[in-house]
Formats: sequence, structure tokens, C-alpha cells
Amino acid sequence: MTHHPHDDTLARIAAGALSAGPRFVVATHLAGCAACRKRARAFEAVGGVLLEEMAPVRLSPDAFARTLGRLEEPGREPARRIVLNPEYPAPLDILPLGRWRYITPALQWRNLKLPHDPGANLIMIKAAPGQKMPHHGHRGEEYTQVLTGSFSDRFGHYDVGDLIEMDSDIEHQPIVDAGHECVILASVEGRMRLTGWIAHLMQPLMGL
Amino acid sequence: MAFELARRRTFRNNCAIMGDLVTSPDDLRAWIGEVARDRDRAAFGKLFHYFAPRVASFLQRGGLTPSEAEEIAQEAMVTVWRKAALYDPRQAGVGTWVFTIARNLRTDQARRAIRSRNGAAALSDIPPEIGESVEDFALTNEREARVRKAISDLSPEQATALRMSFYSEKPHAQIARELGIPLGTVKSRVRLAMAKLRTHLESDW
Repeated sequence: MTHHPHDDTLARIAAGALSAGPRFVVATHLAGCAACRKRARAFEAVGGVLLEEMAPVRLSPDAFARTLGRLEEPGREPARRIVLNPEYPAPLDILPLGRWRYITPALQWRNLKLPHDPGANLIMIKAAPGQKMPHHGHRGEEYTQVLTGSFSDRFGHYDVGDLIEMDSDIEHQPIVDAGHECVILASVEGRMRLTGWIAHLMQPLMGL
Repeated sequence: MAFELARRRTFRNNCAIMGDLVTSPDDLRAWIGEVARDRDRAAFGKLFHYFAPRVASFLQRGGLTPSEAEEIAQEAMVTVWRKAALYDPRQAGVGTWVFTIARNLRTDQARRAIRSRNGAAALSDIPPEIGESVEDFALTNEREARVRKAISDLSPEQATALRMSFYSEKPHAQIARELGIPLGTVKSRVRLAMAKLRTHLESDW
């Protein structure tokens, strides 16, 4: 594993300040990366200090009384964790995934829905060994987690467990390494910018 | 031991007289202990008066209205009451623990709001992202002191950039627009702030 979230991204997930799609992808990385979990914990401590340094605001006069009145209310039961996809890391393991859809026999994809945020745009892509992906660009802050296999582009080589942050000005053509099929999870911001023939085939199919 | 307890009580009473400016990490831990062990409402009151106005303040900076922020601050304190026995002083300072509770509620709140608007059922909730398991992680007073020192060493611009990263979901582009400075400047300030934190917190990285 050589590609990890930027410090700022870990700070934002520790702060609860990353939107649902990116948060889900980065969480998938954290599940398999103890080093990043440790850094995220350090950022939680930064959050604790920032909280203690906040200038207190005035609450409504009955705020404390109302809180006291709620102390004996029964708490929410924690949701039971039902693993649907043991082959993938948490939290992807409990998400209903639906069927793979074919673009070509060597290239499949599916769209993911988060139960708490239907607006989040998440996709999984599965590509055969040696498969060339469409040449494409990215919009805004997009995150890709390698779930199985590996691939390369003109910037580097990405292995299982790696998380890649894509800036909006980056264009690339990933090529899956020989030997293993590659499955990735990605959060997509807006419409993906695709170029080339396979892209024209993909765009309407994927609704991107 | 009895002497130690008496000394601490006196110190705490003094703190109450002087306001919360001198609330120490030891006080916070003692109060949590009293809530966990004795279901002590007086100790809970002290925690409430220290944390609720700060949590509300933090959430307001993130863009919530005062009433939304107060609602979540109250919810956070109810959670503190319920989960006090789960607080582990070897893992995190009390401030950090309360911060993570408020963070999860902020996220939950967003989830609930979205769910009720769309009427979408929660098939299975996504668990807390950073997970409950802790490796060989000892967050101590000493460690939080280092974090404090690291933050105080930032330039005002870097501190602002760091806070912006913590308060809200705003992407850098939007922060740049609001501060009226170029996107590249925001990014480099955040990068510098993170690099500085990293040098102070080397052992935590």
C-alpha cells in the first residue's frame, strides 16, 4: 500500500466534514490501513482541542432543564451489522450492491446507493487483466479505492488498499495490470469527463 | 487518598467560583467518572455547562442555525450521560471524546434530515467510519498538550485554514471564495498547517 489519503482529507473525516460519498470511500481505506486510522485519531484530538478553545455561546435558558428531562429516555438501539459482502472491507461489506452491468465483457460497473444519502454518487468498476480504461478527467474532489487487483496510469502504480485522490485538473488513462482483474470503488462528483470511443459507449450506459 | 480527594474538591469548588476558564483535563475526567459510577447529576451539570455551549458554538461555525446547534448539543450531552461508562481515559481526552460524539451526531443529523425528506428507508446504517477499535493508542494529557502546542504555533492564516477544514463540509474552492483569496493560496495554507502539525505530532503519525 503506497497511496494514502492526504492529511487534510483525514482531518476532514475526523471532523465529520467530508460529504457522504467521499467519506464512504475514505472509510473503506481506513478499514484496511492502521497507519491512516492512527493519523485520523490524531486529528480527532485536534478536533477536541479546537472544541475546548471555542468561545461558548449562550444557550436558551431551559436548555439544561430540557436535557435533564431526557436523561432517562430509552436510547436508540445500535443497528445490527449484517455482512452482505464479506469479500469487501467495511463499510462496503454491509451495503446492498446490486448486479454488475456490462459495458463490454471485460469491463463492468455498478452504481451504489447509500441508505442515508441517495445524493452520493458512488460507483464500482470491475475490469479484466490488461484492460485499458477510457481516457477521462475528474471534477472536484474525487476518491478511488483499489479493492482487488492493481492498475497503472501515467502518474503511478496503484495496488490493493491504495486510495487515490483525483484533482479536477487531472486527466489519465488507467490500465489494469496483467494477471488479476481489478475492482475499484470511486466517489464521483458531477459528470465524469470521458473521452474516446469506449467512453462514448460508457457515458449513456452509466448515466454519467 | 482522603487528603487528595479533599484537595481536588476544593480545587473544583474554586473552579466553579472562577468560572470554567480553569477547568482542567483532570476535572473533566473526574466529572465523567462521577457520572459513570454514581449517575451524579451535579457532575453532569458541570460537564453540560462546560461542553454544551462549546459544542453549539462549534456547530454554528459549521453553518448550523443556533437552534439546530443547540438541539445537537443537547443530544450530545444526553449521549455523554448514557455512554459515560464507555469513556476510556487511556484512549482520548474528554474533549476529544465529546468532539467525536458531536461529530457523529452532526453526521447522523444530516442522515436523518435526508432520510425524512426523501422517505428513504435505512436498509442498514453505516457504522462509525473510524471504527471503535484502537491499536496501541494512548491519548493522554501529555499528547493533548502537544496538540495544543502544535495549534498555537500555527500562523493566524494557517489556523484559520485548519479550522475551516474542521467546521464544515465546504470544499476548498468555496472556502477560497468566502475568504476572497485564490484557491491555490487556500490549498497551500492547509498544506502548511498540516505539515506543521505533523512535525509536532510525529509520534502519532
